[in-house]
Amino acid sequence: MRFFDWFRLSRRRDDSADKARERLTVLVALDRQGGGGPDFLPLLQKELLEVIRKYVEIDQDKVNVDFQSGTGFSTLEVNVELPNRLLEARAS
Amino acid sequence: MKLSAAEEASKAGGGLPFQIRGSLQTLLSLKILRPDDPAFFTGLVEKVAHAPDFFRNAPIVLDGGAVKAKSPDCLAEIVERLKEHRVVPVGLQNGSAAWNDAAVELGLAIFGAGGASVDDPTVAGRGAAAAKPAPTGRPGRVVREPVRGGQQVVAAEGDLVVMAPVSSGAEVAAAGHIHVYAPLRGRAFAGMNGDEQAMIFCEQLHAELLSIAGIHLVSEEIDPRLLGKRVRVTLVAERLKVEPLP
Amino acid sequence: MSKVIVVTSGKGGVGKTTSAAAIGTALALRGKKTVIIDFDVGLRNLDLIMGCERRVVFDFINVINDGIRLNQALIKDKRVENLSILPTSQTRDKDALSQEGVEKVIDELRKEFDYIICDSPAGIEKGAYMALYHADEAIVVTNPEVSSVRDSDRILGILSSKSKRAEHGDAPVKTHLLLTRYDLDRVQRGEMLKLDDVLEILAIPVLGVIPQCGSVLQASNLGMPVVLDDKSKAGQAYKDAAARLLGEDIELRFVNPEKRGLVDWLFRRSA
Repeated sequence: MRFFDWFRLSRRRDDSADKARERLTVLVALDRQGGGGPDFLPLLQKELLEVIRKYVEIDQDKVNVDFQSGTGFSTLEVNVELPNRLLEARAS
Repeated sequence: MKLSAAEEASKAGGGLPFQIRGSLQTLLSLKILRPDDPAFFTGLVEKVAHAPDFFRNAPIVLDGGAVKAKSPDCLAEIVERLKEHRVVPVGLQNGSAAWNDAAVELGLAIFGAGGASVDDPTVAGRGAAAAKPAPTGRPGRVVREPVRGGQQVVAAEGDLVVMAPVSSGAEVAAAGHIHVYAPLRGRAFAGMNGDEQAMIFCEQLHAELLSIAGIHLVSEEIDPRLLGKRVRVTLVAERLKVEPLP
Repeated sequence: MSKVIVVTSGKGGVGKTTSAAAIGTALALRGKKTVIIDFDVGLRNLDLIMGCERRVVFDFINVINDGIRLNQALIKDKRVENLSILPTSQTRDKDALSQEGVEKVIDELRKEFDYIICDSPAGIEKGAYMALYHADEAIVVTNPEVSSVRDSDRILGILSSKSKRAEHGDAPVKTHLLLTRYDLDRVQRGEMLKLDDVLEILAIPVLGVIPQCGSVLQASNLGMPVVLDDKSKAGQAYKDAAARLLGEDIELRFVNPEKRGLVDWLFRRSA
């Protein structure tokens, strides 16, 4: 009986739960970014992403828009992370 | 006219911040027969206590047709007692001018003379039905699609024929007879305007509630041996009688 | 001739999104141009089940309210040709869905796609009405369990009275039963409603019976519609259902006990 259990386990072992956790971590972090800033932030972020995607294929989480409101002024920080292979391609 | 103008305005986007529509409801009605009978209130309370879920917050229409010649003095107490037991009296039908005034005073609505219900103040109770013309047998309504939970199908005149299942949580009502040629799992109200000759027929009885001329039977009261059977339901001596069909 | 199909149930958690993703993908695999729309505004999930959550830039709500073009919001599936996803918004609520807005999007999609699959939110609130309003056909996802069956019955009533077809007096919405999480062992032990019980109450034709199967969870973990898992029984059952939707006459599988061979017998003994 033990033999069969072992046989089944070794054959069916998969890491889909790890994959799920990985996907969710990224996603939940992205969702949380949404709160706090002005209403137009998510759309701004999306439109920036859209424009950049016309030239470079990048993922959603590679464009970061951060809003800091200070007393005299507010700052909008836009951070774009480009893929390595693109830089390599340009360099050569 | 006014109604359609309002609807047009609201469709146009501006318009009113609300919508008025006609809607058809099946209401319980309480026919006041002998309000001075000492057993009136005890009997009423007993009836409500028997099926509290059915009555809880249910709207009810008071029918003064049988007592309109008498004084409407008892109306205030009836309204109050009903409210105490969480039944909500919403209006009066078949009242005389004096009864209508008393009802308005109590904040009740006045319903137009209810179709086939008793008009003659001298008739009350049994035997009355035989005297008045039965509104059954008139062309009614035929439904071929299942009546699902949450839906209501009403034949305001004549009989209702349903050729598909009536789901639990659905309501079918007719002025005349109700025929269901499939399982009846919801609620059926035959003789909804007071026709005591109305009957209910169904192919498979699993009803949550059966009612003829406002007299009802809840599922727990139905003989379990009749469940799932082809039956006929009639009103005999103010009680519903459920019999198997051959 | 394009078809709008709503995947609905009334009750939540019965497998609507999984089913919409699986059937949409199966139709695309059969060469039909298919788009799946997520109507669950504020609780976006279709993108996760389809594994395209990182590719969402614009969504259905942006198209309705923010002047974004439909083509900017549609996500083409990378694995299956002919398949697109229209994700919904995670930040807005159901009020962002306007009757006219939805209608415009559906009309535009009809020009380009053979099948438009609307993944309905649970409940009978605005989102669910919007999802079913334009439907030509409806897949009612039901679990063999009393509350799910009752809610499906309620949804069938709403389909027959509140859909565009009902309001315009056209031919009624064609309804299909999709029975999911069907556990044959439990049915045989009398612990679970059987297909016939559910059919008796709902009285609509059956599109498919999806067996309870671990591969469904595994596929959702990976963000892959379960029909892309060739070994999955649920995946095969969904493919059968899609074929029936295309009018093919295929016998129901996984509703009767399989004839067990010696090896199966041994496995059962060892389990």
